[in-house]
Amino acid sequence: MVGARLLRILSRLEAGGTRPGPARLCEVCAEVMVMTGAGIMLMSGDVARGSICSSNRVSALIEDLQYTLGEGPCVDAYQQDEPVCEPDLADPGEPRWVAFTPRAVEAGARAVFGFPLRVGAARIGALNLYRDRPGPLDDDQHADALVLAGVAARAVLGMQAEAAPGMLGAELEAGSDFRFVVHQASGMVSAQLEVSVGEALIRLRAYAFAHDRPLGAVAQDVVARRLRLSHDPAPGQEQ
Amino acid sequence: MPKEALLVRTLVELADSLVDDFDVVELLSLLADRCVEVLGVSAAGVMLAAPEGDLRVVASSSEAMRVVELFELQSDEGPCLDCYRGGEALLNEHLMAADGRWPRFAPVALDAGFRTVYALPMRLRGAVIGAINLFATGEDSLSAEDVMAGQALADVATIAILQQRVASESRVLIDQLNTALTSRVVIEQAKGVLAERAGLSMESAFEAMRHFARDRNLHLAYVARGVVDRTLAPGALSTPRPLRPS
Repeated sequence: MVGARLLRILSRLEAGGTRPGPARLCEVCAEVMVMTGAGIMLMSGDVARGSICSSNRVSALIEDLQYTLGEGPCVDAYQQDEPVCEPDLADPGEPRWVAFTPRAVEAGARAVFGFPLRVGAARIGALNLYRDRPGPLDDDQHADALVLAGVAARAVLGMQAEAAPGMLGAELEAGSDFRFVVHQASGMVSAQLEVSVGEALIRLRAYAFAHDRPLGAVAQDVVARRLRLSHDPAPGQEQ
Repeated sequence: MPKEALLVRTLVELADSLVDDFDVVELLSLLADRCVEVLGVSAAGVMLAAPEGDLRVVASSSEAMRVVELFELQSDEGPCLDCYRGGEALLNEHLMAADGRWPRFAPVALDAGFRTVYALPMRLRGAVIGAINLFATGEDSLSAEDVMAGQALADVATIAILQQRVASESRVLIDQLNTALTSRVVIEQAKGVLAERAGLSMESAFEAMRHFARDRNLHLAYVARGVVDRTLAPGALSTPRPLRPS
């Protein structure tokens, strides 16, 4: 019964106050789902905007990979507007996410699940769930995840509700990682190479992928002026 | 049905109606009806604070005039208003012994046949958004379990109202969230462009844009966009500001 599920989830959240912050939201998602980790990614216009919380290091990495590579369960769940389940990442039924999968497996994820965050007909992101051993979600867990995604979506909007015009809600700003350093680096690369910021971001992503490094770390190096990308899309030069 | 089972059923019904878009007044009417059943009182009403701060009755277990009037009276005085202002439950208030505390409310309530009144706060974080008001014809006190059950119903109603408010404003909130994120992204990009072009740190680049925007009464995001799409030259930002009286 959906009501009983929702009540169970809301009462868990309530243990963190009537309006839980992002961190509590992720903890409850992981607990209720009996997952190794959980996280919440925000997206808009088919682009990942960043992560508002992740319950552990691997979960953060799974979100970072999807942000860097533009592929993975959350990206698909958001774009296709439906749950995306990969119960055995190391031995998938059909190969997908060529760049994401080997890195996620190496980090310790064996099953990954993405659920779109919906409010009415609109989507604002995706719930990221992973487990360190393979296996599908049972019907009960699947139903729980749908309810959790709805609660999380409304909670995120609730956090934005008190923000001043043009500003992010304080709780969102505080607990989240919107990868601002990546955008600073895009601006710098755009000036260095005389390209648009959009193209600069593509260059940064390509560099991160080619060197097998997180996009955030590459951006840090650019901003600290330790790294300058060259016009040749391939290598880039360490300073 | 045993009391506990009734309470569980009520909570499940209330939670069920949270799932889809629901009518909040219908939900609160259900809540008022269940308060009467679960807690064994004669009448129950849900009062919410209007934006102006006064309490309005939004749902009642009875449409009888004598009952509705009691709720309406409390926009000026009464146990519900005291509960709302103080944020604490008012339990087992015997109207015979009210001692002129509520000179307008108490006589009307006694006239209507009620002897005891209770009010439970609807709390959201630190704020109180309203109260649930209960009336009984006898002078029995509510047990500690009844008070807990009543407060659980009040808490679920509070969450329901909050989720409903968010759902009804979701279009606007989603737009605001996206606008806020997009402006922030452009500002960060502009910091990068300016830092590179003018050889500044990120902080100094931000300060330069902020001063430029403030001195010309422009939005920061607008200035940032100019820097990013090159319609605003970095040199323009480092030129001295318009003269001010020193």
